Amino acid sequence: MATFELYRRSTIGMCLTETLDEMVQNGTLSPELAFQVLVQFDKSMTEALETQVKSKVSIKGHLHTYRFCDNVWTFILQDALFKNEDSQELVGRVKIVACDSKLLTQ
Amino acid sequence: MASSTTTSSVYINVIEDVINKVRDEFINNGGPGETVLNELQGLWEMKMMQAGVICGPIDRSSANKQPVPGGPITPVHDLNVPYEGTEEYETPTAEILFPLAQTPLPGNAQTPLPGNVQTPLSGSVDNSSMYNIPTGSSDYPTPVSDAGGSTDGKAGRPSPFMQPPSTWMHQRPPLSVDVNVAYVEGREEVDRGTSHQPLTQDFFMPSGKRKREDFASKFNNGGFIPQQDGAGDSASEVSQAIGFYATNLIVSKGNDPLRSCDTITTKNREILARVSRSYSKIPQVDGPIPDPYDDVLSTPNIYNYQGVANEDYNIANTPAPNDLQASTPAVASQNNDVDDDDDEPLNEDDDDEEDLDDVDQGEELNTQHLVLAQFDKVTRTKSRWKCTLKDGIMHINNKDILFNKVVQSFRPDLGRTCAVQIEFWCQDYAYGGCCLPFFLLGFSGWCGFVNSKRTLFFMELISRHKVSWQAANPVVYLVLVWPSV
Repeated sequence: MATFELYRRSTIGMCLTETLDEMVQNGTLSPELAFQVLVQFDKSMTEALETQVKSKVSIKGHLHTYRFCDNVWTFILQDALFKNEDSQELVGRVKIVACDSKLLTQ
Repeated sequence: MASSTTTSSVYINVIEDVINKVRDEFINNGGPGETVLNELQGLWEMKMMQAGVICGPIDRSSANKQPVPGGPITPVHDLNVPYEGTEEYETPTAEILFPLAQTPLPGNAQTPLPGNVQTPLSGSVDNSSMYNIPTGSSDYPTPVSDAGGSTDGKAGRPSPFMQPPSTWMHQRPPLSVDVNVAYVEGREEVDRGTSHQPLTQDFFMPSGKRKREDFASKFNNGGFIPQQDGAGDSASEVSQAIGFYATNLIVSKGNDPLRSCDTITTKNREILARVSRSYSKIPQVDGPIPDPYDDVLSTPNIYNYQGVANEDYNIANTPAPNDLQASTPAVASQNNDVDDDDDEPLNEDDDDEEDLDDVDQGEELNTQHLVLAQFDKVTRTKSRWKCTLKDGIMHINNKDILFNKVVQSFRPDLGRTCAVQIEFWCQDYAYGGCCLPFFLLGFSGWCGFVNSKRTLFFMELISRHKVSWQAANPVVYLVLVWPSV
């Protein structure tokens, strides 16, 4: 199953990475095993987002930068308004990184 | 708050899912055992709580299962920090690497080896094209990333674990130095021996490449295969041929008629290769290039995107067997390689620099709001963009929000380019369709006339200060009505 490493940059991914770093550094964990954990995280996170998350969000804002490279879209929005079902957030500048979802289904 | 609770619970589920699914790896195959796994989970959850993305009470479920280790609690800090103190890191890493390479672990460094070494031996001609990819995987011990396959690098930044391998590779310079010394000697030998120069050059040209292969084979076989490619020594010829094939360089026999290795047919080479691979030691003095290789090693990004370095090698190597005269002196080709390495290939950090250009320095960099997602489709109608994203994680205002679907629409930032609406009254001036440059209020651009009465100006505003072409360049339609005279 193909996975994206995209989510490793999220909070949960960074926390995991830091943890693995420390444990590898301590010698309690082998780097190879740490890799496997990370790959498993990629899978689990992707799966969880598909199956467990149902919320919808809309984002509106001024497009500052767009970029499409290697099947990854990157947008930088300014004054973006994020609307949830129950809340909304205004953000001065946000970066959106999106991988092609079709790559996962292939 | 509703979103954050669901986020928290999803995170908890993900953690438990990951932990459960890697449990086998930890317990079997001589893994570190479940206590280490528990420690991992504990640390992970603790960091998550420190980051404020999972709520305390939910953590109870996992806390019931195993105690959170109190000892190794460390504050959340920058990812890069741990790697700097390399000394502790070196030793276990090296120890781990080699045993792992020797025992065929699933999906690990062992896997790339057959692809690299055996495939060429079986005589397939396409190896040069395959060359880049497997080499990258074997050279660079990130088997996990390879498993990621096509998605590598998609995240836009190197994943943190792409870096440790490079530091391990950094720690190999002693090895490379040895080989380099050997290489120099071997080369002098060749020169003195006045053996067929072009051929030796053929062998040497890929040497930087081959050395990486040697690395790989060392890692993977666990055996030490030094290789000597001095002149006229048949044993070294064999090993050279092996090394040659290991690097996927196809040298057709007919091209080096003067060499004694001519007698080695392709099949013989295969056999010899197998035999020699069974030897634990085959002396090898082949010519890896010290500097370019080290350069490559010292810049992890190149490893992530190996194409550039490898392409150069392939370009240089491919014609060489067929056209002896085309082969340039080894030193020259090495220098070229060095030059190529000096020219930093495009990599993901470039984007970040560009971002920095636009960001007012320091602003927003610390509190980076980030959305990580997959896109279904991205469309643009004129200046209006519409994107459908799914399965994303947002980190907005220090909150994590997960979403299954998002529709985002945005317009170019007109604030930066200043949408100008100017009205003039127009009477009889009949301007045909033409374009005129204009300069207005610090903006310059082009405008065009559409009709003569109520003239529709088509303007593309280019701010002289800020607008980069990468930004969404707005096309502004102005209705200008010319003033009556």
